[in-house]
Amino acid sequence: MSAHAVNQKKSNRVPPKTVEIHIRRRANPDSPQYWEVFELPYRPNLNIISCLMEIQKNPVTKEGNPTTPPVWQMNCLEQVCGICTMVINGRARQSCSALIDNLEQPIKLEPMSKFPNIRDLVVDRSQMFDHLKQVNAWVELDGTHDLGPGPRMDQEEVQERYSYSRCMTCGCCLEACPQYEGDNYIGPQAIAQVRLFNMHPSGKMTRDERLEGIMGEDGITNCGNAQNCVKACPMGIPLTRAIYEENRETVVHGLFGWLKS
Amino acid sequence: MGVKLSRTFVLRKLHQLSGIMPLGIFLLEHFYTNSKALTGPADFNNAVKDLQSIPYILFVEIGGIFIPLIYHAVYGLVITMEARPNNLAYPYPRNWFYLIQRITGMILFFFITFHVLNFRFGLIPGLNTISVAHSPQMAFDIVSREFRIIPIFIVYMIGIAATVWHLANGIWLFMVDWGITIGERAQRLTGYACIAFGVVLLLVGINAAIAFIRPGGLLGGIL
Ligand code: HEM
Ligand code: SF4
Ligand code: SF4
Ligand code: FES
Repeated sequence: MSAHAVNQKKSNRVPPKTVEIHIRRRANPDSPQYWEVFELPYRPNLNIISCLMEIQKNPVTKEGNPTTPPVWQMNCLEQVCGICTMVINGRARQSCSALIDNLEQPIKLEPMSKFPNIRDLVVDRSQMFDHLKQVNAWVELDGTHDLGPGPRMDQEEVQERYSYSRCMTCGCCLEACPQYEGDNYIGPQAIAQVRLFNMHPSGKMTRDERLEGIMGEDGITNCGNAQNCVKACPMGIPLTRAIYEENRETVVHGLFGWLKS
Repeated sequence: MGVKLSRTFVLRKLHQLSGIMPLGIFLLEHFYTNSKALTGPADFNNAVKDLQSIPYILFVEIGGIFIPLIYHAVYGLVITMEARPNNLAYPYPRNWFYLIQRITGMILFFFITFHVLNFRFGLIPGLNTISVAHSPQMAFDIVSREFRIIPIFIVYMIGIAATVWHLANGIWLFMVDWGITIGERAQRLTGYACIAFGVVLLLVGINAAIAFIRPGGLLGGIL
């Protein structure tokens, strides 16, 4: 929908009197999930985080029962850090940039389903960090002495690397991926970082270690090309391009690498 | 130097490759032979006979068709079990294609099992007990008699449509999986090419089937 059409729709709509929010909660990692319904007065320009803050101040359900304050994570409040990601009306996105005016009511908030759920809307996303370690998502540099200026990169490569470097490890791509479940697949987020560092002139030197990182049992071949990841990524990272570039690298250097030996 | 290959990596690459070669190539050959029916029963029967006279036919059939087919089908079902479809929350075309690739795979599993037992081996009591491959002189008549049974003909139409979809989308998948297609524009253009290929293949496949119940197929008497 064009921005114009969105504005049109907004101005035609009578603002609601209240905001109804359903939260899928969990008291601790071992206890079952349950839904709770909250209602708060409507104000223009509310977002999910400001609603959660209101509920936290006065944690009483819509039916009037006092309850524990809901728990979530937040940090930058401007869609840069990724920590506030949750499933809003069925889709993974950042709660700090999810405006109430653009959401259908009642609003349903759930923790991401692909990561261990610690409590309420908080999940443990350390698998993503483990995957970065698995693929050596860094450039090896020894010592602290001056190595001089690095090799030059052409502008096109700089542009492409910049887009991969914007990943904030939010996990939206993994939540949306129909092949990612229970840490069985390394996922598009780590594969894009392999691309980022394999494109780097110094990073290239350890290319094969990264390729090995995405060619294991949980590797790149688990991708089923549903392409939800690239649609779900809030940073607009060309994830399918990264996956297909790495398909090429794993075929050329992995599958056919022995032809050079 | 050298990158270690894991079991899953090799099995997946073999699965992707087997879909194109030999299975995709075989499907083209199969539709070519079926299309011989357009010019009459004798031409089709001769084509069946020619195929059976290929040197080392036993090894060609086992190594070139049965083993790759069973491998692709069984491992395809394993891959299908791993899917966690979420098409309602993420209703994008590629996500639907992802689901349809798995649904057509399951249709193909049952359809091909039936089809092979039916015509290749003649092992469907009550329907057909003569192997088409081993009785080339009766090949056209066996197929023609069955295709006049409307439910059977419908089953074959569904089978052909599912196979064509699976192969046309499968070629697109193969090109991205092997790093041939990479960028967004290339993905889009190869997508159009696969749709065009699929439409032509579907028409050829259906027309060949119709040739068994209507002389000359859909355009019989015109061309
Ligand atoms: C008999 C039952 C079959 C089943 C259960 C099946 C299942 C599947 C599945 C699940 C995929 C997707 C794999 C992935 O995304 O990783 C696939 C891909 C494919 N299939 Fe099949 N399939 C069958 C038969 C066939 C046949 C007869 C052909 C050839 C006409 C074929 C050609 C392909 C191709 C070309 C691909 C794309 C490979 C790729 O992902 O790169 N399949 N199949
Ligand atoms: S393209 Fe691959 S990684 Fe991206 S959502 Fe689909 S299956 Fe997952
Ligand atoms: S690739 Fe995009 S969706 Fe995935 S973790 Fe990074 S920023 Fe989030
Ligand atoms: S709080 Fe950082 S992205 Fe929402």
